Amino acid sequence: MGSFRLLLRFAIEGLRGQRGRSLLTMLGMGIGTASVVAVVSIGLVGRDYVVGLIEGVGSNLVFVYGTGIGPTPTQLSFEDLEQIEKRVRGVGAMAPVLDDAATLPIRGEPRVIAVLGTTADYADVRNLKLIEGRFFTQTEDENFAKVAVISKELHQEKFGGSPVEGESIRLFDMRFRIIGVYKEGVESAAALEKSEAAGMVAIAPFLTLKHVGNARVVDTIYIQAESPEAVATVVDDSARVLRSQYGSVDGFTIESLDTYLALVNQVSDAITLGLMAIAGVSLLVGGIGIMNIMLVTVSERTRDIGIRLALGAGRRDILAQFLLEAGILSVAGGVLGVLIGAGTPLYLGFVYDVPVPVSAASVVVAFGVSLSVGIFFGLYPARKAAGMNIVDSLGYE
Amino acid sequence: MSLLHVDRDPEKPLLALEGVSRTYGHDGVPVHALRGIDMAVARGELLAVMGPSGSGKSTLLHVLGLLDADYTGTYRFDGDLVSGRDADGLSALRNREIGLVFQQFHLLPQLSVLENAALPALYARDTSPDVCEKRARERLLQVGLGDRLDHRPNELSSGQRQRAAIARALINEPRLILADEPTGALDSKTAQEILDLFLQLNRSGSSIVLITHDLDVASAAERIVHIRDGQIIDGLL
Repeated sequence: MGSFRLLLRFAIEGLRGQRGRSLLTMLGMGIGTASVVAVVSIGLVGRDYVVGLIEGVGSNLVFVYGTGIGPTPTQLSFEDLEQIEKRVRGVGAMAPVLDDAATLPIRGEPRVIAVLGTTADYADVRNLKLIEGRFFTQTEDENFAKVAVISKELHQEKFGGSPVEGESIRLFDMRFRIIGVYKEGVESAAALEKSEAAGMVAIAPFLTLKHVGNARVVDTIYIQAESPEAVATVVDDSARVLRSQYGSVDGFTIESLDTYLALVNQVSDAITLGLMAIAGVSLLVGGIGIMNIMLVTVSERTRDIGIRLALGAGRRDILAQFLLEAGILSVAGGVLGVLIGAGTPLYLGFVYDVPVPVSAASVVVAFGVSLSVGIFFGLYPARKAAGMNIVDSLGYE
Repeated sequence: MSLLHVDRDPEKPLLALEGVSRTYGHDGVPVHALRGIDMAVARGELLAVMGPSGSGKSTLLHVLGLLDADYTGTYRFDGDLVSGRDADGLSALRNREIGLVFQQFHLLPQLSVLENAALPALYARDTSPDVCEKRARERLLQVGLGDRLDHRPNELSSGQRQRAAIARALINEPRLILADEPTGALDSKTAQEILDLFLQLNRSGSSIVLITHDLDVASAAERIVHIRDGQIIDGLL
């Protein structure tokens, strides 16, 4: 161990002799390491963000809807809904949705808004947040109550955001009392492309709308499975029901969020891999920088090496000294990189008060990788130094 | 100081070369730098090897100093065959048994005088760095550099640099001091001081080989070996 300390001392003396160059090399290595840390963090944060968006739509959710394209029936009938309600197992809550439209005068202009008819479970299943008032109840649905819950956007446009207590809107020539204002649990659930609850929307009880509205098909059935394990049962049973009705499920789509989550994982794995490749290239560049500098150093210090060998240093001493120099450069670069790569997101997270998961694993990986890069790229110059001919190198000026 | 060693057989020479030849093969044209050198250095001897440039005396120094191993013939150091040993074996032997002094001093510019002098002891690794520095300090005191320990070599005069190099050569108490034109880069007054230092070391028991083309230096030695065209032309015992 004493001998390691000695070699470490020689290595540090060597680096000190060329401070500016050593710092620049460390910087190169640091940027490579920082990009590795950043890439790993971005991958994790990005994935968490997208997964959060998807899960915000509702948990254990299965959607069944007609595609609207194909030779066979492609839209869900009320009969299909009845069969699904009867025969699908593992259901926790169910919210069929009728998609209708109505025209409302808004600030003197006729505006078309979406009118959804659904059950009382919809708010839960689709993770709606009530800003004001309440959602309608199952009893109201069963009694054809003419009540409506409106979206935040419609609330803003129609009532200028003022309290809706006692207000009503006319839909299908009937007065609907407004009992609540909602917004979506995750605003950008629209990221899922099909969010019927986004925009200018009024939601009314299913049975009410079935009777007074124009919708003759069920747009979508949201089924919340009773547990994560039941999701597959719900998907399978729904498919079975549709197949027994139509002979195939070609005209319909049955999806669970698992489908999306799997897709997100697949995509984010691909992106992370791509970013890792780029980070790998920058580490490679940093490593080549180290090799380059070490080759220059070895060549400049030829006489120094010759003197050490003449005074009785072993080949191994010289090899170890230059490997250590390369190792110190790369690890110091690694530390710098971790400081930049982890410090920047932590600082931003602190300033903007958002949790930033800088994974400890990415820091450990970055250290390990930068040390290996240093040793790997330092090996060739160090071997060159250790293999020098003493007589020739002593005469070198 | 004492440079006493337990010599296995005081009657035998400290080192002996037999039929040593060294050929450089530059671009297919062989250059015969040494042609069958036979020579011996007795214990406690101060020997000068003289010859004009190109005579092969530098090559001889490299062979004697174990810096060059690509020769034919045999080389015994204290009775042990050293020809044919591997590079690390030669390094270890050179480290302990041979103190090298060069015309160009060959001090490491980034190290202090003290660190330079301690270097062979540090590479020997048989004592702690503190002990190495303590020994280096003693040697530097002995050569008259006690007040220059923390200076860098470029802050010293050339005579002081050579003294530092001599202190470095002495630190592991080698059996042989091998000096290559040690006064070649010095003015005559300083050269004489360095020469006096060698004589003094020799009187206290060191075996010294001086390689030189300077007759004044050589004449200070007990014995002169003349070398020309890679062969010893006189001085054989």
